[in-house]
Amino acid sequence: MICDQCGSPLPVPADLDCFSALGVPRRLTIDPSALEAAYHELGRKIHPDRFASSATNVRALSLSGTALLTRSYRTLRDPISRGLYWLELIGEKLAENNKNVPPELAETVFEVQEQLSDLRDASGDAALELRSEVTKRRAELSATMEDLGAQLSRNFSRWDASTTSNGGNDNQALVVELKTILSKIAYIRTLLRDIERGLETLRAA
Amino acid sequence: MGISAKIYGIDLGTTNSLIAVMDGETARVLADPKTGATILPSVVAIAPSGEVYVGDEAIEVEPRLALKNDGVIHATGFSGGDLGAVIRSVKRYMGLGSTEIAPEDQARYTFADLTGPVARFQVGKRAYTPSQISAEILRALKARAEAAMPGERVERVVITVPAYFNDGQRQATKDAGRLAGLEVVRLVNEPTAASLAYGLQKLAEGRVAVYDFGGGTFDISILNVKGGVFEVLATNGDTHLGGDDIDAAIVNWFLAELPESIRNERHIWNSARRLAEDAKQKLSSSDQTELILEIPPDLSLREKLTRAHLEALAKPFIDRTLERCRLALKDANLDASKIDAVVLVGGSTRMPMVRREVAKMFGREPLSSINPDEVVALGAAVQASVLMGTQRDMLLLDVVPLSLGIETVGGVMERIIHRNTTIPTSVTEMFTTAVDNQTHVDVHVLQGEREMAKDSRSLARFKLGPLEGQPAGYPKIAVTFLIDANGILNVTARDERTGREHSVDIKPSYGLTDDEIEKMLEEAMDLGEQDLEERLLIVARNDAHQILAALHKQLSEWGHLVEADERAAVERLAGRLEEAEKGTDREQIAKLVEDLNTATTPFAERIMDAAIKQALEKKSVEELA
Repeated sequence: MICDQCGSPLPVPADLDCFSALGVPRRLTIDPSALEAAYHELGRKIHPDRFASSATNVRALSLSGTALLTRSYRTLRDPISRGLYWLELIGEKLAENNKNVPPELAETVFEVQEQLSDLRDASGDAALELRSEVTKRRAELSATMEDLGAQLSRNFSRWDASTTSNGGNDNQALVVELKTILSKIAYIRTLLRDIERGLETLRAA
Repeated sequence: MGISAKIYGIDLGTTNSLIAVMDGETARVLADPKTGATILPSVVAIAPSGEVYVGDEAIEVEPRLALKNDGVIHATGFSGGDLGAVIRSVKRYMGLGSTEIAPEDQARYTFADLTGPVARFQVGKRAYTPSQISAEILRALKARAEAAMPGERVERVVITVPAYFNDGQRQATKDAGRLAGLEVVRLVNEPTAASLAYGLQKLAEGRVAVYDFGGGTFDISILNVKGGVFEVLATNGDTHLGGDDIDAAIVNWFLAELPESIRNERHIWNSARRLAEDAKQKLSSSDQTELILEIPPDLSLREKLTRAHLEALAKPFIDRTLERCRLALKDANLDASKIDAVVLVGGSTRMPMVRREVAKMFGREPLSSINPDEVVALGAAVQASVLMGTQRDMLLLDVVPLSLGIETVGGVMERIIHRNTTIPTSVTEMFTTAVDNQTHVDVHVLQGEREMAKDSRSLARFKLGPLEGQPAGYPKIAVTFLIDANGILNVTARDERTGREHSVDIKPSYGLTDDEIEKMLEEAMDLGEQDLEERLLIVARNDAHQILAALHKQLSEWGHLVEADERAAVERLAGRLEEAEKGTDREQIAKLVEDLNTATTPFAERIMDAAIKQALEKKSVEELA
């Protein structure tokens, strides 16, 4: 994105991927501090602050280049958005098999919705009791989330291993696994958000 | 090049404004050489004749009750309408539509009409937008700086704005700069500027919370400051919450016995406001004070105010700031205990109660070693030095304070850029038609955190098109919403089927169009022939400055793409422009700018092609590797 000789921002090819934009290897396992360092180093070079007195077209390139750099950084920094982006890169989508609740989560989803609906209508001691139940549920779900995070990073490692060894035969299995993990994460994240909202309304009331 | 490339830092505050500049390694505020004052009160008076006064001179003619030489108390000052007006805290009205003016504001000032897209103060036969009033403050600052630095011209500036300013408020600030004949190189958020001033001296590092409680606005920003990188993690605030509100609460208590019509009488209200401001300041160091107001013919008001009572009056406002702090911490995903340093900015942080409550909230003593009145201007000067390229190791990553969205089916706001996203940032959305032969697609841009369009603030509307006889769903128009480093929205559109750029004619929902600004510039120029010439000259010099800077850069970086005879011709023109720019013949300057523009177009296009080619080659090399 930046000319090696003159330091000017260059037009960005339309299909530049996030890894190339940041100049980091196309791998799913990422060291956050290395990613941040790459982002800051490129940011210092391309940021509009550097081109305040340049010609209009140079300023425009600096602006669009910085916007792309920042978007790439945000996409890769968070493991969940990184996983989703990876699916996109290999031409896969989560949405198609994410319409149905993963069977092992169905019961939990149902129970949480029930509890939250009871919580809305409850008052007095019943409300207090429900609140402690919901708080307990939140702790359980947070633990599950952490476990899914660990599963996600194991899946990432296997992807990286399969890419470097150039075998690639078990990629289909990895795709299915990645989709399953991300789908569960999406549901649990929604549940945690709903719980948070439910508890907040209660606090406000 | 013979052009002053220096960039100045301006804090355009609700109550006070300052101008600062980098002096070697340190930033300093420029003082009026006659009075030694660094602070310019943000008060503008307009006499019935149209004459303008700024600062202390404007305060002199504020409406109030005053004891005159004859030993009698008179109502004096410009009390609005045909009598001239004195406008303070104009920043509170920046970017506001006429319909958004609160009833209490209508008691303070006379507004031109209450329906238009821009609030306007009526003075005599003329109406003034808040941007025009702010431009007067900027002109006074420019004059002060030029007097303080003989031989220097102030033409390029950084202006600070509250972090929580929306798009319209930012645009109005930029307009004010333009109306004052200044090139606004960048708008910087006030708390971020303060963190730069502290960061330059390495006084606050790690996770820093900047609590900025000024005269009219409140901001809280949470930053990560590390190795010269200033990264804003989250920001929150209220652009109508400040010391002014505490003063008003004191006035309302002090004048509680009077009927509303008398309380709101401008001389009385403003006299009480002055007393309230004084009392508030005194109570920062003492425990008790007294407010005394004589209202002719024979009413005398006298009230004791204790610090405890002031704190009770101020509490609701301080509580609101603390709630904003909690929201910012939540967005930054941080607990208050994880903050390494808390910085106090703004005059309202002089209140002991504010300091106490902030210390309690963050569990640590806040810092205020840099004068809270000056720190924002000093930070603006630091940012100016970054933009001049003299300060190369700093990187500032700010965020957009409010989510940006578009209105979709059913009046729902669809968020496309979330609040606290690092800027500059851009998102591209695809638009198409819903029915056959639809000629336009209407897009309504919104800002805010609410779910429904009607509850959000309308930012702008624009039409995509014209589209000709196409079936529903056939057109594919890619619209790119880009928020630049000033936090201001730019929209571009491209027809994906033809590859043609669409022009986007944006109508700001609240604010001025380019034509209106041009008209105002002309109007301002009517005020005097001398004035007119001077301003046109500045505009012409700014244009000359920009084109010369761009040309020098192009020639040094892409010189090999320029033919020898082309180069000779262009350099000859540039030389003549540099010479003309030193003189005062603005028509000559304008003509040379035009000529130079024409002469450089062919190789500017070649440079663009070469840059694209270079980027593609680089990419294919990477793909092979």
